[in-house]
Amino acid sequence: MSGWFMFLATVLLLSLAGALWRVWSGPSQADRMMAAQLVGTGGVGVVLLLAAAGDWAMIDVAVVLALLAAFAAVAFVKAQTPQGAGDPEDDADG
Amino acid sequence: MGDVFSVILTSAALLFYVAGTVGLIRFPDTHSRLHALTKADNLGLGLLILGLMAQADGWVTLGKLLLTWVLALIAAGAAAQLVARTALGDRR
Amino acid sequence: MNGRTMIPLLGIRLALLGLLWLILTGGSLDGVLLGLVTVPAACWLSLRLLPPAQIRPLRVLALVPWFLWRSLIGGIDVARRAFDPRLPIDPSWVRVPVALPPGGRVALGAELSLMPGTLVAGSDGTALLVHMLDRGQEVEQAVQAEAARIATLIETDR
Repeated sequence: MSGWFMFLATVLLLSLAGALWRVWSGPSQADRMMAAQLVGTGGVGVVLLLAAAGDWAMIDVAVVLALLAAFAAVAFVKAQTPQGAGDPEDDADG
Repeated sequence: MGDVFSVILTSAALLFYVAGTVGLIRFPDTHSRLHALTKADNLGLGLLILGLMAQADGWVTLGKLLLTWVLALIAAGAAAQLVARTALGDRR
Repeated sequence: MNGRTMIPLLGIRLALLGLLWLILTGGSLDGVLLGLVTVPAACWLSLRLLPPAQIRPLRVLALVPWFLWRSLIGGIDVARRAFDPRLPIDPSWVRVPVALPPGGRVALGAELSLMPGTLVAGSDGTALLVHMLDRGQEVEQAVQAEAARIATLIETDR
């Protein structure tokens, strides 16, 4: 099984590379912020596959990465918009 | 049996991850791209975790897999809304 | 919040945080000893940061299968559109007024963002700004149905 998981991890990394093209080329700030979400799903997926292929102890890395991805997304939005906007509860007066 | 289950689910997971990337590249506007990334990649991660559960070496690993999934779901729901709102500002 | 509802609520939080601690420490004896300190501390912090809301945990649990099913459909829908050479999307916006408290609106927004064809970009007053992937969808009805589901999770007898 571990050969299969390594293979999947490789293809998943290639797919992530393709998605990073969008992060790199933008054009909007929001397109770039999606990098945080990519880490939260794709990055976590790669780490989980490596954990399954090798040592399950690596799964702690995935847990922490998933946790950090949430904070990273909030931080990106807060840092890159004027007045730290981005709270969905604010009135969207744009 | 567990291995067959794992291979099927992880293959499906990969398909959705690739779909997310394809959508992210092909969709014409930021909000549509956010649809692709949020929904497809999260389904990919969910299927991947389900597939890996059959390989878990004990209840602790199982618990951590579930925990990762829950964290990722919460992160995705919150991040999608926040980024969507920021994109709204960009557009205007 | 009166004493009658406070006790089970505290119990639920202690149980959840305790379970989380057991998973993170791998159930070792040393971990359990440390947990005797960390779990009550985390529980106290959680009560400070997230004051008790009148949420019905069992009803939340009952909604999980529906949510997973809809997010499966959401993923399939968007994957189909991404792979289709004709790229069948026709994005547009709709405002849907929802009668939910602020916290409920955020939960609804997160949920809708994982469901087929909808993405929430915050709220405008009490209306949700919903982006839809395809103009032809019956979004308003779907949003109202989800809002009604979320409303049943919140106690009404405040």
